[in-house]
Amino acid sequence: MSLLAHTVQAGTPLLFGTVGEIYAERSGVLNLGVEGMMAIGALIAFMTSFYTGNIGLAIASAMIAGALLSLIHAFLSTSMRANQIVSGLAITILGLGLSGFLGKPMIGMTAPRLTSFPIPILAEIPIIGPILFSQDVLVYTSILSALVLWFVLFKTRPGLNARSVGENPAMADSLGLNVYLIRYVCVLLGGVMAGLAGAYLSLMYTPLWIEGMTAGRGWIVIALTIFATWNPLRALLGAYLFGGVYALQFRLQAIGIATQTPQFLLMLPYITAIVGLVLISAEAVKRRIGVPAALGLPYVRGES
Amino acid sequence: MKEIVKRFPGVVANDHVDFELRAGEVHGLLGENGAGKTTLMNVLYGILRPDEGEIYIRGEKVDVGSPREAIRLGIGMVHQNFKLVEPHTVMENILLGLKEPAFILDVKDAANKILEISRRYELPIDPKARIWQLSMGERQRVEILKALYRGANILVLDEPTSVLTPPETKELFRFIAQMAGEGRSVVFITHKLDEVIAISDRVTVLRAGRNVDTLQREQLDKTRLASMMVGREVLFTLRKSAVAVGEPVLETKHVTVMGDRGFPAVKDLTLTIRGGQILGVAGIAGNGQRELTEVITGMRSIASGEVRLCGKEIGRDSISHRIEEGIAYIPEDRVGVAAPQGLTVAQDLVLRRYREKPFSNGVFLNQDEIERNAEKLIKEFNIMVSGKDAPARTLSGGNLQKMILARELSGRPKLIVAAYPTRGLDVGATEYVRSLLLKQRETGAAVLMVSEDLDEILSLSDMIAVMYGGEVVGTVPATEANVEEIGLMMGGSLRKP
Amino acid sequence: MPVISLVLGFLSAAPLFFAIGVNPILAYQQVLGVFLSVDGLTESLTRGIPLMLASIGLCLPFKMNFWNIGAEGQLFMGAFGATAMVFLLPESPAFILLGSMMIMGFIFGGLWGLIPAYLKARLEVNEVLTTLMLNSVAILWVDYLVYGPWRDPEGFGFPLTPMFPLNARLPWIPGTRIHAGLLIGLICAVIVYVFLARSKWGYELKVTGESRLAAKYAGINYLRLTLLVMLISGGLAGLAGMGLVSGIVLRLRHGISPGYGYSAIIIAWLARLHPLAAIPVSILFGGLLVAGDALQIGLGLAFATALVFQALILLFVVGAEVLTRYRLVLTWERS
Repeated sequence: MSLLAHTVQAGTPLLFGTVGEIYAERSGVLNLGVEGMMAIGALIAFMTSFYTGNIGLAIASAMIAGALLSLIHAFLSTSMRANQIVSGLAITILGLGLSGFLGKPMIGMTAPRLTSFPIPILAEIPIIGPILFSQDVLVYTSILSALVLWFVLFKTRPGLNARSVGENPAMADSLGLNVYLIRYVCVLLGGVMAGLAGAYLSLMYTPLWIEGMTAGRGWIVIALTIFATWNPLRALLGAYLFGGVYALQFRLQAIGIATQTPQFLLMLPYITAIVGLVLISAEAVKRRIGVPAALGLPYVRGES
Repeated sequence: MKEIVKRFPGVVANDHVDFELRAGEVHGLLGENGAGKTTLMNVLYGILRPDEGEIYIRGEKVDVGSPREAIRLGIGMVHQNFKLVEPHTVMENILLGLKEPAFILDVKDAANKILEISRRYELPIDPKARIWQLSMGERQRVEILKALYRGANILVLDEPTSVLTPPETKELFRFIAQMAGEGRSVVFITHKLDEVIAISDRVTVLRAGRNVDTLQREQLDKTRLASMMVGREVLFTLRKSAVAVGEPVLETKHVTVMGDRGFPAVKDLTLTIRGGQILGVAGIAGNGQRELTEVITGMRSIASGEVRLCGKEIGRDSISHRIEEGIAYIPEDRVGVAAPQGLTVAQDLVLRRYREKPFSNGVFLNQDEIERNAEKLIKEFNIMVSGKDAPARTLSGGNLQKMILARELSGRPKLIVAAYPTRGLDVGATEYVRSLLLKQRETGAAVLMVSEDLDEILSLSDMIAVMYGGEVVGTVPATEANVEEIGLMMGGSLRKP
Repeated sequence: MPVISLVLGFLSAAPLFFAIGVNPILAYQQVLGVFLSVDGLTESLTRGIPLMLASIGLCLPFKMNFWNIGAEGQLFMGAFGATAMVFLLPESPAFILLGSMMIMGFIFGGLWGLIPAYLKARLEVNEVLTTLMLNSVAILWVDYLVYGPWRDPEGFGFPLTPMFPLNARLPWIPGTRIHAGLLIGLICAVIVYVFLARSKWGYELKVTGESRLAAKYAGINYLRLTLLVMLISGGLAGLAGMGLVSGIVLRLRHGISPGYGYSAIIIAWLARLHPLAAIPVSILFGGLLVAGDALQIGLGLAFATALVFQALILLFVVGAEVLTRYRLVLTWERS
């Protein structure tokens, strides 16, 4: 498989996760539970596939699992106004714990996997065909969802509402928007996408169940969210950029080149994110591509 | 609006106010801060519910339960602080919160409607521009368009010209005239006399929550309006003893300070306060008083000019240094700034002084000294509290202010900057606070007092400075103070260099 | 109240054991065995040491509303700094080597904490995001070293350094694995407690935590305070890292910390930011880690079980606190 095709595959879980996290953060909720939601998604998808052999069901149940976990976070941070950091970390630890715990008996086993699904005519296109159009259903879904969710976020009313809630919840509230509901929906969307990311990992990316499926991808997602300046289209760029780094590292390892420099490459999303944050912090720039102003702050009606 | 009553804890903001607005009329609503103008309009717009009274629109009794209701009834309001989301575009802000268009926003209809309204009223705007790119005048246009898009035929403008340049103000007046010409009505809240005379068909003056009177266009006269607005006789009780005035303690020379909205809030301001003097700063809030107190105390940086304390330049010094040099600050925001609620009374009593010798030795705090200090001050200033270790949030408003004063005044400050020191306090606490400031004056301290209570300014000050538009438009000794003149100065119609 | 939620959270794992076909009673027996045996307790203490150091450190920035999520990265950097000393001064007498390891561990952890502190104080850059990102950078940095220049030539290619020589190992109580880090941890708890309760900076912390405007009004220099606090917090996490490599694992390797820095956040929060309370909570969490091991060995369960316990306990405590606050708000509104 070519390096680029591998890049797309490596980038897919990142893309799913990032787009979901973008929605959550755009509505003002910091979701540090992505890693745990991915882990649970991976586990549930694998388990369902293992026991039922039905891939579609496996994917669906991963989405539900991610959603359920994110529901806890949404409930605690929005309705209960708990500390979003603690709540998110709790979910991550829970997700990682459950995934490891329930997955232990299945280590090393395989389950029915996603097969590739080349799109009839498009797959014949030289060069691009094998890279983009000879992938599996989830890859197509991820790209489609990035495009669709970009459109929804910026060109439709639900997207406008979500963004407004994250910028100025008090004003949104006074205009009649239901801040709590919107935040719930966005966080749930984040959970569903994280679940999909996990499903991809266990159903396609990794040949068998191993411990530590997610390998820190959740934290990369949070970095990528900043890197993409909370824009699903740029998330495509970021996800594949880093998918490329993963794919490259894999190649180098396979060939036997000392696996040293990849670490510095892998550091890039994080360092770029920090640099990006510093640049954004300049007041003027803040307004254009800034952090959603209300990110991380619980909304209490009546408090200015 | 008939017999509207609106009460807040401790104050009656609207006291049986009647207000009548005719179709096609431009009605000015004039008054000082706290007169009740914004409250009255907030009741109309559904932000507040009246405790008593009724509202009739076109003869029908209505109950305005929320801004959405108000909008449905055709009322639109442009507030002083724009309710716009900065990263969004103009169109997005206009469409926010509406039902239509339901899904896709970039619909021809919506865009065309906006452009059509914009064209009709000559309010040029680019629907795709982002709010942060727009000037204040342009942002106001967006707010107006928001109201018009929702079909407002009663438009309330709250202090609209405070953010506009003179040409923009002219444009606004042209627009208001056009609205009136179409049969729509405009309520124009302001404290600026020239403007209200220029455009109003009628003017209603509110004072201390009551409707003083409504004047017709022909009856409009600056002096008359000013005295209605300010409404007192020149009576001030000579409770003050004569005090020998000392050297200049505070001198600000050509001080310019940038405000939060990007333009200067204080312009080239020069004033002097001597030891043993109280300078009362009068003026409608929002004319730079807050920024002035902030630049003197260090809470805001100075753009240009000098601030001297007893001859020493301190305009760029740190706040801790200014505390050391003897500047006491009693800010407007008591709860959030001057007395953190989560600390105990004893802890709050050393908030600005904890670095000083008996309280700290550089590393550790001396708990005993701090407690001793707390006990002493609680007794001396008669602060009603369950104990020195009670959390500050248990204090009532008056006692909280007493605590702040106790702390600030116990350090023998050279300069005391007090912003609205008696606001919201009951009679007893008010008298006590005033007597404390007078006592400080007797010991030779200089006091800068910003207040919206003219009585207070007249009775406490030695000198009175009126601020308007970031400048001091007049300084008069209290003994020569003429209430009408002060009213005119506050309204921007008079300058006394 | 918190004890009840703790117990409830603990017990709520029961259905999970069923799901995996394990008798929950057996599982709880194993776990209790950890807490009721001398061996188990000493192990809990041992595993709790890095948690203790890191969580004590976190009490400081959290109290001033500076959300330091970077304890993990600061820990790694401290481990790195300490290991560097071993490579630099392999022949030195123990107390010099160990002393310098501690100093370097503290310094490197502290420096790692200064970066987000400066960015926040000077440029208002969101510290949650910067500290989080720096975690990954630190982990990757250590990976680079243990996969590369510092790799043990006799380690069969595994990403770890050679075992530390005896003079680079912290002294320990014979018969157990409890090392001197415990003493350091206890001393630090007291120092941090005194710092918070009695010092000028402790006061400044409290005020800043209430409101930054109030802090400004009080003449507090936010930049200096933040830098100081993060130096200490990062430094203590760095010490935790030093303790890990010098007291328990006795080398630096990939994944030297399986998330201790994040657990420390939870512990600090559970301890209500009180450094002395962080001690028993850390030991409890250490015990959970040992339990995880015990369940792995005894019943073939994943070590991740420890994480499940952690998360459930935390969620129950959060839930309980939220419920009590909710009830408080309701009654307040009624009055």
